[in-house]
Amino acid sequence: MSMNQLAMEIRGDCPVCAGSIVAAEGLEESEILTCPECQSKLVVDSQQGQSLILSEAPLIEEDWGE
Amino acid sequence: MSTLAIFHSTIRAEEKLLVQAARRRNVQVKLVDIREEIFDPFSYRPDFDLALERSVSTVKGDYAAAFLEKMGRPVVNSLHVARNCEDKFQTSLILAAAGIPCPRFALVFSPLQALEAIKAMGGFPVVLKPPLGSWGRLLAKVNDRDALEALLEHKGVLGSPPHKAFYLQEFVKKPGRDIRAFIVDGRAICAIYRESPHWITNTARGGAARLCPLTDEIRTLCQRVSEAIGGGLLAVDLFETGQGLQVNEVNHTMEFRNSEEPTGVSISEAILDYCLTLMKDGHS
Repeated sequence: MSMNQLAMEIRGDCPVCAGSIVAAEGLEESEILTCPECQSKLVVDSQQGQSLILSEAPLIEEDWGE
Repeated sequence: MSTLAIFHSTIRAEEKLLVQAARRRNVQVKLVDIREEIFDPFSYRPDFDLALERSVSTVKGDYAAAFLEKMGRPVVNSLHVARNCEDKFQTSLILAAAGIPCPRFALVFSPLQALEAIKAMGGFPVVLKPPLGSWGRLLAKVNDRDALEALLEHKGVLGSPPHKAFYLQEFVKKPGRDIRAFIVDGRAICAIYRESPHWITNTARGGAARLCPLTDEIRTLCQRVSEAIGGGLLAVDLFETGQGLQVNEVNHTMEFRNSEEPTGVSISEAILDYCLTLMKDGHS
């Protein structure tokens, strides 16, 4: 992996299993990710530099949908 | 420069596609997390020209639309359209009043009336749905009286008040698929088949999306649905029957992540174009 590719990676830790999450640039706050290790649904709380702050995604509620 | 505000809660793939489309076109976009807003009419100062309401929560979206419209900001979709779509019974009433073909339906509040309604519909099986709900959740294909009584008892005891309104719909035997058509400002722009061996064909429940050509019948029906519901951005679910197409449901915060690729249509760009036209014209 090139230095440029490393520089573009955003990294975070899964709050459920402590697994490592690597994401590409362009994430939005409140976007949903899936932890590749435990498959938990996570939400992007914020991004600080190249670090992602993640929490468990809220459970689907009764009025969610189209 | 005009500003488009996208009101959101959880950012889905659809919201990302919309933001990316806006950025490609150099449209000034403001992302507004609806959960962080304070809708106080005495202090709120909207700093945008049009709101695209994309909250995944129907309740939050409705309150936002109601508030913003009162603050003089056009909202897509309007509260009027949202209300016409979010309650299946309300939607069915509107479609039936407009003479738009749809499955037989009824709303009841007790098992005895449910049995009478089902008899009038032609008997079992029928579909029992919550009037409010999405993604194919909590639907039941009710095959006989035993199942009906069990379901209604469970809903009556365990459900919240909206679940104690029993929306019954004629069961339509589908050819292993249904059709989802996307409408922008009265015009169908594309459609997909949602194929599944299961009677519930929502892509959220595993239905596979495949291109559905837009026929004159689909186009005409979509135009009629849009006129009846109030226009805007709609996703219409259609059944193919021996008597032609029937409208099952109408959705007002369309999800389209699985539909751009099979149709080759950028639904996100079409939504953006619609918003830009409204902003240019100065109304919704």
